[in-house]
Amino acid sequence: MSKKATRIGLTSLVLALAFGGLLWTSLSEGTEYYKHVDEVMTDPAPWYGKKLQLHGHVIDGSILRKRDTLDYKFKVENNGSVVEARYTGIVPDTFKDGSEVVIKGKLGPEGFVVEPNGVMAKCPSKYEATNAPSASTAASVPASSGR
Amino acid sequence: MSSLGTFLLLASFVVSAYAAAASIGGVRRRDWRLVDSGIGAFYLIAALLTVASGVIVHAFVSGNYAIRYVDRYSDTAMPMFYKLTSYWGGLDGSILFWAFLLSVFGAVAVKVNREIHRELIPYVVATISVVQMFFLFLMVLHNNPFETYLLADKVPGDGQGLNPLLQNPYMVIHPPSLYIGFVGMTIPYAFGMAALFTGYLDDSWLRAVRRWTMVSWLFLSFGLTLGMIWAYEELGWGGYWGWDPVENAGLLPWFTATAFLHSVMVQERRGMLRIWNIALVITTFFLTIFGTFMTRSGVVQSVHAFGEDRQLAMMFTGFMVLLLTVSFGMMIYRLPLLRSRHELDSWASKEAAFLANNWILLFSALFVLFATMFPTLSESVMGERLTVGPPFFNKWMLPIGLILLFLTGVGPLLAWRKSTPSNMRYQFQFPLLLAVVTTGGLYAAGLRVWSSGLCFALSAFVIGTILQEFWRGARVRQGSTGTDVLTSMIGLVSRSHRRYGGYIVHLGIVLMFLGFAGEGYKREEQVLLRPGGSATVREFTVTHRSVKVTDDGQKQMVTAHVDIQRDGASIGAMDPAKWFFRKREQEPTTEVAIRRGAWEDLYIVLAAFELQDQSATLHIVVNPLVNWIWVGFGILALGTVIALLPERQFAFAGARAAADAAAGSEVGRA
Repeated sequence: MSKKATRIGLTSLVLALAFGGLLWTSLSEGTEYYKHVDEVMTDPAPWYGKKLQLHGHVIDGSILRKRDTLDYKFKVENNGSVVEARYTGIVPDTFKDGSEVVIKGKLGPEGFVVEPNGVMAKCPSKYEATNAPSASTAASVPASSGR
Repeated sequence: MSSLGTFLLLASFVVSAYAAAASIGGVRRRDWRLVDSGIGAFYLIAALLTVASGVIVHAFVSGNYAIRYVDRYSDTAMPMFYKLTSYWGGLDGSILFWAFLLSVFGAVAVKVNREIHRELIPYVVATISVVQMFFLFLMVLHNNPFETYLLADKVPGDGQGLNPLLQNPYMVIHPPSLYIGFVGMTIPYAFGMAALFTGYLDDSWLRAVRRWTMVSWLFLSFGLTLGMIWAYEELGWGGYWGWDPVENAGLLPWFTATAFLHSVMVQERRGMLRIWNIALVITTFFLTIFGTFMTRSGVVQSVHAFGEDRQLAMMFTGFMVLLLTVSFGMMIYRLPLLRSRHELDSWASKEAAFLANNWILLFSALFVLFATMFPTLSESVMGERLTVGPPFFNKWMLPIGLILLFLTGVGPLLAWRKSTPSNMRYQFQFPLLLAVVTTGGLYAAGLRVWSSGLCFALSAFVIGTILQEFWRGARVRQGSTGTDVLTSMIGLVSRSHRRYGGYIVHLGIVLMFLGFAGEGYKREEQVLLRPGGSATVREFTVTHRSVKVTDDGQKQMVTAHVDIQRDGASIGAMDPAKWFFRKREQEPTTEVAIRRGAWEDLYIVLAAFELQDQSATLHIVVNPLVNWIWVGFGILALGTVIALLPERQFAFAGARAAADAAAGSEVGRA
């Protein structure tokens, strides 16, 4: 019995270590920091090149689109700090002046480069009332949808 | 009307308390009349909650917008169908729906098992009643669907309307299906707890719940699949699964329930894994509650979260702590009675394959749970909010899925107790050959996405296993009955439902995996087109023609008209659209245009438009093999239904010996 117990113990220890190691390495690649714009932009240099999710509000009138393309330029603000973002692709319907957004991508000296499908936006007003459908339904709006 | 509803909830709460107390007290004192009164009270809960459901449905239909819940989730313009189904459109109503289902399921389970499992029933009644009390408590105190607008600051109008995204037939059946699955898992838990309380830990409680688990599992699978179809057709981002917390919440108990359905066979056949089975039943039930907690209380925050609700979170936490303490406490207390009757003889055995399958399924559940909770965990541990996205999930779940697929093929080929080398050679030859041939064929055809390729090879392996099982079984049967192969195959299936139903379920799973593997060959393009402009994805060329606006009273519809060419030949037009519902103009719904095919789907979304110059922004996706997921589910459902049929219903007496002999490798069917 005790021999069996040590065997089981050792096996699970090895497995746990292996999984832990794998998890650790894949986590360090896979994670993104979730920050508000002001937390990053007060001292942006340490954040250059890191994967980030920035949370803030689109500044009114800042959304620009190059004619006949899907190249966007816009500014996101939070508590007085502003970041300029560039993005190519489809934006969600809720992305407009004043809306609350989370943008995924990397920060560089010349601004924030949003990755494909990396714009998520909430409607400025009615979000709370409308986004409370049943347990299984509401958030099926997947993170990657860019909605 | 609303006060009647609230009264019914309060009454149900009191009656539940009585049912729990009377059945426990009765069985302690051996007072069977008291126990019977507890059971009577238990039936009464179902009646009360049925009336309460009637009240809320009536309020929706008659448009009683003074009730807050009705006002928030319906309006006068909605079709009757959606008015009825708004019942579970929001949190408060879905809790009522949950409680209603639980009361009905509980009543049925007790009615069916009352005579067969006499000793267990009082504890089953008590367990379900306590769970019921929790949900009623939540409603009465916190989420009363019958709550009215107390003050006159909000004059009842004609309702705010259901989120248009949810006004979709899939969304109507998806939540109840998932709920049936979730709630159904309470019944096995109640029987498991009853077995722990009474100490009757032989296999009889398992027999009582195996079917329940299977039915619940089927509905859970159905709910998850409908969720995928809905995401695919309605949300318009080109995929079907985004590892969103809410999707994950449904998946967690699915993993553990699948594990249970397999490990239960090991207990029946070999008397092993008895602690494990109890633990799985408890875990599955816990995960249904935890999933609800996770998505409803705001602990997992995302853009899609529901807003924080500390009070609700506290109530759920309290309940979950109680649940875990009592359940696992009882399990530890009963450990001496749960000792395994056999040891594992060899790793080359069916038991071992089932064990591996169980570990991996449990690991999947834990991993998905961990990754879903990761942002919350990292914030509370490190004070830094880190998030993980779908790529992280995929990185882990892809190999896990492939291993599971592999085990799906291996399990049926191994014998119970120990497979000899010669037996293994006999069993593995054909499936392995099929896998190798498939790999070679794919390589020659130039399909070189390694993960998908491996998935195809493993799928071939599993299909080989299934074919071989059917073929050998049918041959043996044919030999003894003298019929043709097809007849003997049908005879085979009707002779042992669980075994061959199970294989059909496996076939469905394989088809679903084929669909998942198609993802590896997905191509997409986001383009802005003026009239006459075109874009090419794979062999499809999409040419934009015009953007038109129409109105049907309930909504404004903006439709883009595009022409499609395949390899230069015209194959018709498609009309992706955006609908702007009244009162919800801020959130238009996406009406995806999909051209389905067995080989691939052409999927076009109208993402944005400009009426002045008629330009349209299109998201064009070519999704290979995606329809096999839905077909696979259909086959899975068929297999489950076959496995659920009462054993030996159509068996012919003379054919029994033959089918028994047919078992080239024994799969548990007891």
